[in-house]
Amino acid sequence: MTDAPLNQREADDALAAEYVLGVLDRVDRAEAASRIKRDPGFAAMVTAWEFRMGGLNDGFAEAPAPNLLPAIEARLFPKPARAGGETGGWFSGIFGWVSGVLVGAFVVLAVVAFVAPPRSMRIATLATVDHRLAYEVVEFGGALKITRVEGDSAGAGRVHELWLIAPGKAPVSLGLLEDTPLIVDQPVPPAGWTLAVSLEAAGGSKSGVPTGPVILSAEIGT
Amino acid sequence: MSSDPIAALIARCAAADRAAFRTLYRDSSAKLMGVLLRMLQERAEAEDALQEVYTRVWLRAGRYDAAKGRGMTWLIAIARNLAIDRLRARHEDHSDDGLDSVQDTTPRAETRLIAKGEAKRMADCFETLDPERAEVVKGAYLDGFSYLDLAAQHAVPLNTMRTWLRRSLQKLKECLET
Repeated sequence: MTDAPLNQREADDALAAEYVLGVLDRVDRAEAASRIKRDPGFAAMVTAWEFRMGGLNDGFAEAPAPNLLPAIEARLFPKPARAGGETGGWFSGIFGWVSGVLVGAFVVLAVVAFVAPPRSMRIATLATVDHRLAYEVVEFGGALKITRVEGDSAGAGRVHELWLIAPGKAPVSLGLLEDTPLIVDQPVPPAGWTLAVSLEAAGGSKSGVPTGPVILSAEIGT
Repeated sequence: MSSDPIAALIARCAAADRAAFRTLYRDSSAKLMGVLLRMLQERAEAEDALQEVYTRVWLRAGRYDAAKGRGMTWLIAIARNLAIDRLRARHEDHSDDGLDSVQDTTPRAETRLIAKGEAKRMADCFETLDPERAEVVKGAYLDGFSYLDLAAQHAVPLNTMRTWLRRSLQKLKECLET
């Protein structure tokens, strides 16, 4: 073509625009997506294009959406607040009514029939050899959800802490594993990365690195 | 401050305000459903995607920067991204050629009004593009067409399509920034 070759910045900006527009094939798109995560400069270009193209959004007509909040909240908040607790919004009102009535089972069945189950994919299981302690890691909605499926919490004054370790890098804490599932806004780590659980004093490691023994670990995608 | 109520709700979600999350769903789900239906063309998949979109909205609310743009634009970016991921994950031969849409409502008056300035500028800038290339950009943005889809629709080689599109986007950017 007659175009002068783009300099690096122009090429990056063009790629950001293509990513936002969505025209890249699956492989190129995945590559651009992973670059967004590690390259803040590129991520900023993508964000700028997202807002820049906002003027086209009038082209999307509204379409009535069913009330999927119960399913969404069940994913986000494993133990939803019962009605009478905090805000008595229209949803918690309905939820309280449903859970309070025996016919609830029927209503819940009906909801399950109409709402497609959320897609979740198991990423890893962190377990002791005898499986007396096990955490399951699943992906959903671009986040990771970590649930203890076997065994007990770390005990009084102690806590299990979850770490993500890139090959050859220092561990990064993803949070503390308590009785409720931990949800971390963290995309699925690439193959070869490691998830590990260490035993820490209550409140977790203060130093940002594991200080107690690593009791569980699993490598991603092998 | 309250000129963008959606932005205010997202900020409250970032502070873990569940009531704000419900209001946000009530006030924005029809628009996002419209985006997902148009792009995915299947109601069951659009509903499944809608759940995932709001899951992401809650988890990522803290990353939204109201100084960068409107709240609704940010929400739509999340919905479009997810829809495109799903479209690309489908088999390449499954690309939709039927464009009969399932749309049933027009945008609400107030939504149109708020977005009017933005849309007007965009429309003016589209005027500066060759009409066929303007259609290419819109097709990609609104329907999620890939380079492969677009090249086939316009019967041009993929590289030509890429050159068209990159030039059009560059032109749009320059126009929007003046």
